Amino acid sequence: MNILKHLKIAGTLLALGAGMLAASQASAQSVSDIVKRGKVKVGVLIGAPPYGSVDAQGNAIGYDADVTALVGKYLGVPVEVVQLTPPARIPALEAGKVDFLVATLAPTPERAKAVMFTIPYSAFQTGVYAKKGTPIKTWEDLKNRTVGVNRGSSVEREFTNREKELNLKILRFEDDATTMQALFSGQVEAIAGPDAQANAAIKARGETETELKFMFGMQPNSMTVRKDAYELKQWLNNMIYYIKQNGELNAISEKWVGGPLPQLPTF
Amino acid sequence: MPIQFQFEPIFAESDRIVDGVLLTLGLSFGAIVLGLVLAILLVAAKSLLGRWVGLLVDAYVELMRNTPFLVQLFMLFFGLPLLGIRLPGTEAALLAMTLNLSAYATEIIRAGVDSIHRSQLEAGLSLAMTRRQVFQHVVLMPALARVWPALSSQFVLMLLASSICSFIAVPELSGTAAIIEQNTFRSFETYIVVTIIYLVLALTLKVALDRLGRAIFPRISSVDRLDAKAEAA
Repeated sequence: MNILKHLKIAGTLLALGAGMLAASQASAQSVSDIVKRGKVKVGVLIGAPPYGSVDAQGNAIGYDADVTALVGKYLGVPVEVVQLTPPARIPALEAGKVDFLVATLAPTPERAKAVMFTIPYSAFQTGVYAKKGTPIKTWEDLKNRTVGVNRGSSVEREFTNREKELNLKILRFEDDATTMQALFSGQVEAIAGPDAQANAAIKARGETETELKFMFGMQPNSMTVRKDAYELKQWLNNMIYYIKQNGELNAISEKWVGGPLPQLPTF
Repeated sequence: MPIQFQFEPIFAESDRIVDGVLLTLGLSFGAIVLGLVLAILLVAAKSLLGRWVGLLVDAYVELMRNTPFLVQLFMLFFGLPLLGIRLPGTEAALLAMTLNLSAYATEIIRAGVDSIHRSQLEAGLSLAMTRRQVFQHVVLMPALARVWPALSSQFVLMLLASSICSFIAVPELSGTAAIIEQNTFRSFETYIVVTIIYLVLALTLKVALDRLGRAIFPRISSVDRLDAKAEAA
């Protein structure tokens, strides 16, 4: 295993050449490396609003960008933001192009074989939404109701699995926006969907009659460091704990997701 | 790498497909019957009632013919509820298809009506027929006979356009196909099956309408054919 690993590293170095070698040496592995260098390079997600997207000037904006700014503030060094699309995130980290990722990555065991994750700093949540007057608190309350969902979304399964049991009439729409529109216009009595999109639609329309009935799913997301960067991971965990306690993370959640920070799990 | 077709997962959902086909057929037949009746009434109103009614009919026809079907569908499904009228998906689809088809059919039948020569009307009136009788026997039936092929192709177009109703979550054939595609991840196979079904439906409808036309207008169409021969001679 060790020999294999060494061969692999040697092969990579040969293949990628001196430029890449320099880059990988320049990447910081600890907090003191970063402070010594006087700059932190952070990979953030783009192309997935409201968590990460770019503004008209090409700057990264969103939940991840704001959290990254906080990291820079507490590290006390300027931040160099590196914009990454979903498939580029872990390769960019492994290649040493960034020091760590604040890029809405779910900490899965498969990924954890290649990288290390901090405790979660954000979470996708999915909920059931309906008009204020509709008495819905649990799945049972959806019995015999007409419900809407985005066709092909992971949420659709929640309805399909309960279709027979609750005698649901499921209307499958093309996207999250049309699904919300069906709820606003009363064509369905309730919908299930991601909170960020639901909140955005409610806000954009100035809707006051539609509200969250209950949450049923959560996918927490973590910051990501290279394998063996224990000290950096520990510092980031510490910082996440701190901004959870002092309300700064909650403010970012309110700003971008449109709701308070959920109870994030730790590990 | 050769493409490996797997149709089994699609055929495993044949119940869904049958439901989808039945809904497509139901919507299409409903829209054809209701749309044709509405179109005839509109043409009759334009011909028999005053100028203002004619203008209203024209306005309706232009409104429906110059806006996209999808927009009309969204107006009925998402728009009407804000006025307090909530039509479920299938009803909204049927209404949108009926209104859309009636506008096109009105225009087609009007062309047929225009083709009836003035001397025919005078002949009818001189036989002491009422204006209504003249319209029905001298104008409408010969006009319908002449434009039946054009009407038929409009009906087939409506059958195909019913696929748009999947946008408001109506599980007709195309909506069903989208669900099956998503369950099986076999897009090509799903749409091969659906394409064949649409083709069979459309061709069957075309043949059926052709037969129907010959059955309803046997005498008139043969007279027309004689006319055509006489003109050609």
